[in-house]
Amino acid sequence: MDPMTLPPDPSSPATPAPADAVSPTPAPGDGTKPGTAVPPATAPEEAPPVLVRADGRRLHVEGLRAVSPLLIRARYLAGIPGYLIALLAVAGAIVAAVLTGWWWLGLTALLPAILAGQGLALTPRRVRAIGYLEGPEELVVASGVMFRSVETVPYGRVQSVTIDEGPVDRRFGLAQLTVTTASDGADVTLPGLPRDEAERLRVMLTERGVELMAAL
Amino acid sequence: MSEQPAPVEPPDAARPSDSGDAPEQAPEHRRTHPITPLISGWKVIAGILAVLTVQNIAALVENFTLSRALIGLGVLAVVVLGTIAISFLSWRATTFALTGDGVAKHSGLISRTRQFAPRARIESVSVERPLLARLLGLAKVRIEVAGGSESHLDIAYVRSEEAERLRRGILQVAAGGGASARDGGTSTATVPGEDRATAEDATVREGCGTDGRSAPGRDAEAAPTRGDAEPAPTRRDTLREILHDGVTEGELIAEIPTERLVRSLLRDPEFLIGAAVTVLGVGAAIIAGAIADGFSPALLVGLLPALIALPRFVFGRVEAGWGFVSRLTDSGLRMRRGLANTRSDNIASGRIQRLDLRRPLLWRGPGWTAVQVTVAGIEDTEGGAESVLPVGTREEVARTLGHLAPPLGSEDDLALLERFLTRPAREIEGYHPPSPVQWIARRTEVTVTLPGAVLHRSGILAKRVQIIPRDRIQELRLADGPLNKRLGLLDLHVAVGGHTVTLGGLARPGACALQAVLARDAARRRRYTERASWPTPVLAGTGTPEQIR
Repeated sequence: MDPMTLPPDPSSPATPAPADAVSPTPAPGDGTKPGTAVPPATAPEEAPPVLVRADGRRLHVEGLRAVSPLLIRARYLAGIPGYLIALLAVAGAIVAAVLTGWWWLGLTALLPAILAGQGLALTPRRVRAIGYLEGPEELVVASGVMFRSVETVPYGRVQSVTIDEGPVDRRFGLAQLTVTTASDGADVTLPGLPRDEAERLRVMLTERGVELMAAL
Repeated sequence: MSEQPAPVEPPDAARPSDSGDAPEQAPEHRRTHPITPLISGWKVIAGILAVLTVQNIAALVENFTLSRALIGLGVLAVVVLGTIAISFLSWRATTFALTGDGVAKHSGLISRTRQFAPRARIESVSVERPLLARLLGLAKVRIEVAGGSESHLDIAYVRSEEAERLRRGILQVAAGGGASARDGGTSTATVPGEDRATAEDATVREGCGTDGRSAPGRDAEAAPTRGDAEPAPTRRDTLREILHDGVTEGELIAEIPTERLVRSLLRDPEFLIGAAVTVLGVGAAIIAGAIADGFSPALLVGLLPALIALPRFVFGRVEAGWGFVSRLTDSGLRMRRGLANTRSDNIASGRIQRLDLRRPLLWRGPGWTAVQVTVAGIEDTEGGAESVLPVGTREEVARTLGHLAPPLGSEDDLALLERFLTRPAREIEGYHPPSPVQWIARRTEVTVTLPGAVLHRSGILAKRVQIIPRDRIQELRLADGPLNKRLGLLDLHVAVGGHTVTLGGLARPGACALQAVLARDAARRRRYTERASWPTPVLAGTGTPEQIR
């Protein structure tokens, strides 16, 4: 992680000032010209919102908590069948190339080798890139290294919370939390939580969901 | 509704003790119309016939003898009888009931299914009349419930009048008036479970009227309209009633003359390109086939799907707007459309998650616009309940949006939308894609936050404006990637119930700021405890009864 703090991206000089949250009861026509973004206002609420920054080269969320490092081992263990298959494929391709004398058959080993290789090499980084944050009003989950995404789910919008424990996960005392909203997009999943932590999050999400219940 | 004391249970309401195996309150479960198996069975038969003939037509013609034909007919008869018998059995096993709590449906021969649509979750009710059913005077009632795909409950087929009564009854139940289900006349709506209502249910009911005083007013409003339909109608009225499938009450919002529909289709590049590509494709395939191995019936048979698809495509578009009428009723916007297959739908403003305005280039002259909405749970292709205005004039758009869309918070929402639909994106202040690499998007796309909604303009040949009410956002996702990193961009996915809008290619700092603002809206704008301040459409007045979530 390299949280370099650069000045705002120079490639976007024309970006207007971001509109800030307006009070819950918007008075229609409160001085906004048609087609103009709302001028920035000071945040009236007490809790500071969770801020996502795109400093440097990476999406960065302040105060993100990492998931259990055991997930690296769990993922390696769960990946073993895949690695074995890749190994067999590579071996098969090489043997075929040697037996037939057609050297280009060896090229077919590249694909499984690359797939397995990136899995072996990048799993630790990927796991370390997963993070979550219990914001004042929302759950934030960040994941991914190259294709990084930051997902935000307000507590009041949570429709259901699921905890999954696969056989490998169970061995390491880990669990995966899945949060569903009414949207049709992908559910938010958070793997590699210690079992107690997953349970705590589930209870918290449910309680805060009832407290802050928002309609569809 | 909430004004009256809890409706008294009719004395004859069946008690669990004296109704043997029946479930709890044992509301009267009724069957659909007895012709149903024939209507639903004929498709199976047609399918079998089509497959058999298409695959073997050449062989059949070659080896034709009388005895073989007789054997074939015999087999066919057995299949037909079998299909009908199975359809009949499944029809016998299917029952439905309308209760004060919602709609129940029991079905299934071998594995029994009991579906239940709780009234607080009913999103909309449609009455569909496919051609064959329509000829027989039958209709299908579809109840949409919030949820993913397949989240609907079909009652097929019942008599048209009964479908209409059912629709009214269901809407009244959904609006919270359990008692009024009785004058829906569809079943002995015992009003069960009023006392079993959960806490959440109670809040829902409170929310129904938005405020108590609107409830009696609405009932008073509803009563005369209901009364009007009853007195002996003149012959002209009857004709009108039939032509409009009963959508004759309430304030007229929009009516599409056939001429406008046809002209709008001829000016719609998407429609024309789609039709042209299909025609050219079929033509090219026929010519290529004829050159390759001579003209033969087998060739035509192979192209049958394409030959059927084209008229279907054209006809579907025609049908989506043919005879379109929308009127405002006490349960939201009511629409009717269709030429051969007709349907009428209900959409309540409180259920709308997103609006989508579309104006192809050539619609600019007459100023036509198509309006589509997203309602959680409805999964419709084009021409379904979600298309609330297939092609409307400025006034019709103004009326439709006035009754459906929450206020955007600008001085003049309609002028603003008009500007969005006509001006180049560069003239609109907002979030523009910053990178010169996106040379099309820079000219066509812009995202603007207004006090009430986020507007996203896009489209080249057809300008499109998506309105995402800021209080409806469910979930946000900022997505990065190698290309985005290189160009200094970020994608923001904004998810509402049933749809995800992608605001692609925003500048990185801008996207983060927008995300922070929208995350706050998503968390705060639509809290249950603050529902008094939920925005309502400008023209909707005190709020429709459906405004419960």
